Amino acid sequence: MAAGESSTQTRRSTAEAMAKGQRDISVSEFFAKNKHLLGFDNPRKSLLTTVKEAVDNSLDACEEAGILPVIWVQLEPTQAGRYRVSIQDNGPGIVKKQIPLIFGKLLYGSKFHRLRMSRGQQGIGISAAGMNGMLTSGQPVKIVSKVSVRKPAHYFELQIDTKKNQPEIINGRGDGVDIPAGEKGRQYIEKAGIAWETEIPFEDGTREDVAHGTRVTIELAAIYKKGRGSVDEYIEQTAIANPHVTVHYRDPEGNTRSYWRSTLQLPAEAKEIKPHPYGVELGRLMAMMSEDKVNTVAQFLRTSFSCVTPAVARRICEAANISPRVTTKKIGRGEADKLFHAMQEAKIRPPATDCVVPIGQDLLLKGISTVVPGEFYAASTRPPAVYRGNPFVIEVALAYGGGPQTQAISKDDLNELIGQTDARTLRKFLMDTFNGVGSDGADKIMKEAGLKTRKSPSNLSTKERVSLHEALQNVSISEGQTMNVMRFANRVPLQFQAGACAISQAVMGMNWRSYGLTQSRGNLPNGPVSVMVHVASVWVPFTSESKEAVANYPEIEKELRLALQFVGRKLGIFLRRRQRVKQEGERRSVFLRYLGEVSQAVHGMNGADAKSVYDKLLEVAKKKTADADVRLDDRGRAIRDDDDLDFGEGVLIVDPAAKTPSTGAIGATNGSAKPATATMQGELFDE
Amino acid sequence: MAKKKRTAKAPAPEVKREPVKLSSIDKSTLKKLEGLADKVVSAANRGRDPFLDIPTRALSNVKFNKSKRFIEMGSNTNRRELFNLNQARSYMQTLLVGSGCVGLIDEGKTTSIRGLYYRMKHTIEGVKEETFNNQGESDAVIEDLEVLANALREELHLYADKRGEMVGPLVLEDMGDEIDCSRMGSGGYGIPSIVEPDRIRFKRCTADFILHVEKGTVWQRFNEDKFWKKHNCLLTHGAGQPPRGVRRLLHRMHNELELPVYCVLDNDPWGYYIYSVIKQGSINLAFESQRMTSPDAKFLGLRSIDLERCGLDMNVTIKMNDTDRKRAKQIKKYPWFEGKKRWQKEIDKMLENYFKLEVESLINLGISYVTETYVPERLSAGDWLD
Repeated sequence: MAAGESSTQTRRSTAEAMAKGQRDISVSEFFAKNKHLLGFDNPRKSLLTTVKEAVDNSLDACEEAGILPVIWVQLEPTQAGRYRVSIQDNGPGIVKKQIPLIFGKLLYGSKFHRLRMSRGQQGIGISAAGMNGMLTSGQPVKIVSKVSVRKPAHYFELQIDTKKNQPEIINGRGDGVDIPAGEKGRQYIEKAGIAWETEIPFEDGTREDVAHGTRVTIELAAIYKKGRGSVDEYIEQTAIANPHVTVHYRDPEGNTRSYWRSTLQLPAEAKEIKPHPYGVELGRLMAMMSEDKVNTVAQFLRTSFSCVTPAVARRICEAANISPRVTTKKIGRGEADKLFHAMQEAKIRPPATDCVVPIGQDLLLKGISTVVPGEFYAASTRPPAVYRGNPFVIEVALAYGGGPQTQAISKDDLNELIGQTDARTLRKFLMDTFNGVGSDGADKIMKEAGLKTRKSPSNLSTKERVSLHEALQNVSISEGQTMNVMRFANRVPLQFQAGACAISQAVMGMNWRSYGLTQSRGNLPNGPVSVMVHVASVWVPFTSESKEAVANYPEIEKELRLALQFVGRKLGIFLRRRQRVKQEGERRSVFLRYLGEVSQAVHGMNGADAKSVYDKLLEVAKKKTADADVRLDDRGRAIRDDDDLDFGEGVLIVDPAAKTPSTGAIGATNGSAKPATATMQGELFDE
Repeated sequence: MAKKKRTAKAPAPEVKREPVKLSSIDKSTLKKLEGLADKVVSAANRGRDPFLDIPTRALSNVKFNKSKRFIEMGSNTNRRELFNLNQARSYMQTLLVGSGCVGLIDEGKTTSIRGLYYRMKHTIEGVKEETFNNQGESDAVIEDLEVLANALREELHLYADKRGEMVGPLVLEDMGDEIDCSRMGSGGYGIPSIVEPDRIRFKRCTADFILHVEKGTVWQRFNEDKFWKKHNCLLTHGAGQPPRGVRRLLHRMHNELELPVYCVLDNDPWGYYIYSVIKQGSINLAFESQRMTSPDAKFLGLRSIDLERCGLDMNVTIKMNDTDRKRAKQIKKYPWFEGKKRWQKEIDKMLENYFKLEVESLINLGISYVTETYVPERLSAGDWLD
């Protein structure tokens, strides 16, 4: 019935009429409509993504050129809901011709076509950030780039023609402006009001002129908020994973903060590799062959893939039943399919893994210990492994102990955070703002402060703010604190979609209870622990274009597990040892506590001299707890009698007793910034 | 500090202490307690850990003595050490209670167990910890000390809360006062916690038997209907699980006045256990069974068959819950119930019924049904469980 009716209905349109509406969609148009795919979901995340894309590009450029990176990140509010983001580096600079294309054309770049470990992968990020800025603020992207001291710097103001995916240069009559080198240029910059950092400051106070580098300025509609998923967090985590980088950060309120590099050693240069036969897909194989055209199949295999020797190529051809002498032009669809299967089944050695550059155990320890306060650090770098023909390395660093974030916060900072939040309840605010505060911890703090759970943070009275601040200082949330997981892919922090990420899943899937932490099933473990996990690969498998979560391949999961187990074991040794010392100490104090009562009671019962009974019992007690005695002598908390304490390599222990004077003083005066370099380090256990 | 304070406090009562005349029981109790302290001193002198071996108070350490027909304590002990993290505190508490009792005996005074708790409660020198956090802690320690020193609570000059009442044709002397239990009005004679012969002496008794009911409300019913007058009996209740005073008194009247004991209790596992405690003693106080039990006590009711037998309505029953069923099964397995076929049948029937019956449920058949029909019928028919 229904079918009969519809067939008699008049058509609404015809194929010809519809064809008129069918046309090309440019990449830029597509992404302008689907900004969320690139990480511009909301104003707050847009700000982060913009900073992130620019910083990633800067670091990639510096490392490729072999320059120790110095990055300036500056955020300025321009008008309500708008921020100007400027990122400058001391990289090699960009030649004039390429500037408009790199910043004004989507999917243009050097990184997509090669297999090489780098932060950026697609060539979409910075131009998409510029496009987003242009769409939301109407302002062009401004770029200054200088290649060397003597050559002029180039200044461009760019817009993207989203229909054509082409850059449009606005200034200098569509040709950009050249800023002359030297003193003249400096004057020009001042006159034209172009922002440009001219000097590189050093930690010891000396300065050096900026000889080369690139600065990109994007204005966009954004919201700036501290806490989880913020620009501040991104910069902090970047400093952990990139100990060779110095970052000068100025937040919208004008506070500046510098993360100084802790090593002068650049990471080894990442080598470019050819794809491994296991990692190629059929379509890609056919495309490669049609591009190739001239070679014989055997030659093609040898030259286009890594790890394919003539013998291997011959074996593949035999298995596919194709003569190795046939040129690639003659390979049809069916043969290509056969060849593809033969490649998957052939025995080929795994790809060379020197193309992946890990951070390394030592630098991991340095990086995490300068940024995350704690007492115990362990790090592990796994040997390279391979997933789908792509080599990768998993690294894990763990920090334990240290005061929680809640205790380090000053009253002013708290007020500011309360002003910024859009959380509906105070409980949610606490959980969102502070790392490691779970629902239990938040409840505890609220209870201590005498505030109702459903209280909104927006209408807190001054008195309530004071009591909340006090509660934050006083409540020990270390039991209710959950592990803080920092995820990195090719040294880039991943701040979103933790749940979908293979890294978080691996951390949650581990049994941390056997390493001395508490953990409820399928959750993150509790305690003052931070874990950073780094996945380095020529091609990191992300779950989406916005690069927020690592996809789970069994090989990656396995390596993650092994690396986490390694640091977990070290933590277990540390915690068990500490537990034992603590127990012995407790034992003694328990006995001592009761001896007085016991001897007094004995005196009451049989008239024996209480003093002599007490003294004698004390001797017995001392004998019984001799174990604790040995370790207690050493400043009350003697974990550092290292003779029998074999952690192996990759462990750093910071003596909190030695550290307290410095951090204590800071905490008392302002307590705002965590001292990035104030940690005094104990010994580095490393053979 | 605390030490100094206490020694400073001590001299004041010392003056008064002189006239106290210690009875022979007091002397032997003091000796036992001194023995405990001496062990600590000798262990300390030899550089050893002091410890206390406390007889275990659990089902695993009681035996049912078939010939004596009550529960006896076995020989298992639990060691309590000072230098053991989990036991240090209770070790300290045990000695503290011991010294408190010595003080009581020396001064010739008695106090409640709550009083002793307050007497010994103070903050330990130098820490924020208190010797006792709540009375529960000290009560448990007192029971430990009783078994440890093999001294009864009364001998330690302690008494528990007074619970339970009695009425009937009995004249007794309580601390020199003559009390006629047939002239107690509606309140009855409150049974004190300590009913030892040196405090309470029976003078005249004309009763034929003792009827023990579970709780005050039921007892009130029987007293109001003057059941004890009609049937010439003593009427007691223990407000649930009878306290030591009631059990000790029942034991004394049962043995000294040679009165049979009949119990009217709820038809639930707890009622069964009250009967069991009266008859053969409790597991917790097995060391006192000898002077607490009335092995000839009989269980009149309520019975599991009473719903049909008395024609009760189904809606006066209470559904059993899981704890009830578990407890019933436990009781069924106790050695002193295991050999008795009628009891096995009784408990099985209750489990099968899947409900409990309170004595009060009989009021459904008439306010005085229980006093005028139920109990007289059972008594004349000799229908009870033994």
